[in-house]
Amino acid sequence: MSSTMISSHIPDLDLITSYAQREGTFFSRVSPWTKFTGLLLVILLITLTRNLVICGVLYLIILGLYASAGLPVKKLFAWYTLPVLFVISLVGIMVWTEPGTPLFSLNMGLFALTLTDNGLILIITLLLKALISVTYSLFFLMTTRYQHFSAMIYRIFPSPLDQIFLLAYRYLFLTLSMTGAIFKAVRSRGGGIIHSVRVQGRIFAEVFALVFIRSFDRAERVHQAMIARGYNGKYEAGTDMPKPGLSGFCVIGAFVCAIALIVLMVPNTGGLY
Amino acid sequence: MAHIHLEDGSFSLFFVLLWWTAAIILVGIAIYLMRSEKKPDRRKITLAAFCTAAAFAIFQVSLPIFGGVHLNLTPLIGILAGPAAGSLVVLIINILSAAIGHGGWGLIGANTLVNIVEVFVGYSCFRLLKTTIPDLFPRAGIATIAGLFCGNIAMILIIIISGVQGVNQSTGQILTGLSLLAAVNMGVAVVEAFITGLIVAYIGKVRPDLLGDELL
Repeated sequence: MSSTMISSHIPDLDLITSYAQREGTFFSRVSPWTKFTGLLLVILLITLTRNLVICGVLYLIILGLYASAGLPVKKLFAWYTLPVLFVISLVGIMVWTEPGTPLFSLNMGLFALTLTDNGLILIITLLLKALISVTYSLFFLMTTRYQHFSAMIYRIFPSPLDQIFLLAYRYLFLTLSMTGAIFKAVRSRGGGIIHSVRVQGRIFAEVFALVFIRSFDRAERVHQAMIARGYNGKYEAGTDMPKPGLSGFCVIGAFVCAIALIVLMVPNTGGLY
Repeated sequence: MAHIHLEDGSFSLFFVLLWWTAAIILVGIAIYLMRSEKKPDRRKITLAAFCTAAAFAIFQVSLPIFGGVHLNLTPLIGILAGPAAGSLVVLIINILSAAIGHGGWGLIGANTLVNIVEVFVGYSCFRLLKTTIPDLFPRAGIATIAGLFCGNIAMILIIIISGVQGVNQSTGQILTGLSLLAAVNMGVAVVEAFITGLIVAYIGKVRPDLLGDELL
């Protein structure tokens, strides 16, 4: 567990950055713009399709990409906890009232909960879509250098949004580490033991308030230091980034054609409205 | 951040684009307001950045209350950063969260709209109640409940209007499911109101300058 890791089900930003900076595989040398366009196209495809087979195949392709980039697959499965819980928390409620052929029924006394084939397909499809999205996102994060991300943020977002984003991204690691350290201190003094809601609430409120106050203190110190070094309100991140080459354009073009073909030819696709 | 608990592919393309456009317009207004300040305060940018980092870090912490909940903190962001910077902060947190699977990329627009409602209502209530309730603890608690309640309504409206791809249920059936989720969210909102009240009271005691004269 690294210093920035608050909970084991949340992707570890230290580990993600470590893989990103290592640049060990072919994918690390692919233009960040190509990978970013790939992300947009993946999101477009899973938005347009409701076909379980398409979602399954796309998931396996992206999982294959992730594994072939030498990224930690076991960790990835642990990090799936959050998106899976996310889907289950809402769709898990809706799934019981979905019309279709009943598969399983649960008698609750006053009413019965029935799981149908359509309900099951719905939850599996949405789970696959969630896993596709998070796997590709992590693949993108773990194969793209920090400087390239900063340069992308600087070029995509207008000021002052880019400035807040760049500074926040820069100090996220410090803040996560500080929060982790405060929680370790609280736990070592018995703060992890279950108390009443009131006591527990007060302990956590004080920790959170401390995180905010320390963050603001640090913000002021950093601001003064930046002014002393000539900061004029503009934090520039103009790192040169590799542009998508011919092969990059070919991959993007092929992906666009595949999406067009899928939309036109495969049933349960074309969710424009 | 209160989130629409759905991932990518849940909304159709039309609604993904619709909510993204609405969020971009609101964020655009916030950027315009920040840029058009007569005396731009550069310190505000640094503070907003640290507010983003702190809120994102706390957002990842699961509290051992009621079996484990995580806080939204959007009303607190509104109180500390103000509605304009707060709107930018919630957009960035939604982007960072989507990157690690806490919400989808396509849902960032809808989630940002919900969060902007929470930031705006939280800030406005906290400011409007200044003379009626001078004590920071109850004022921040009420502002938080109000913010999260309105956020919940925004969330339900967005899901009802958009529908979920693959769900073939009537609006009434969807509403029943969402009401259950909204009830749980409001239970968490009460915990959050208590915690936000304590945080604001603590900040008011230790660093009152962070709240500024207009809010104290």
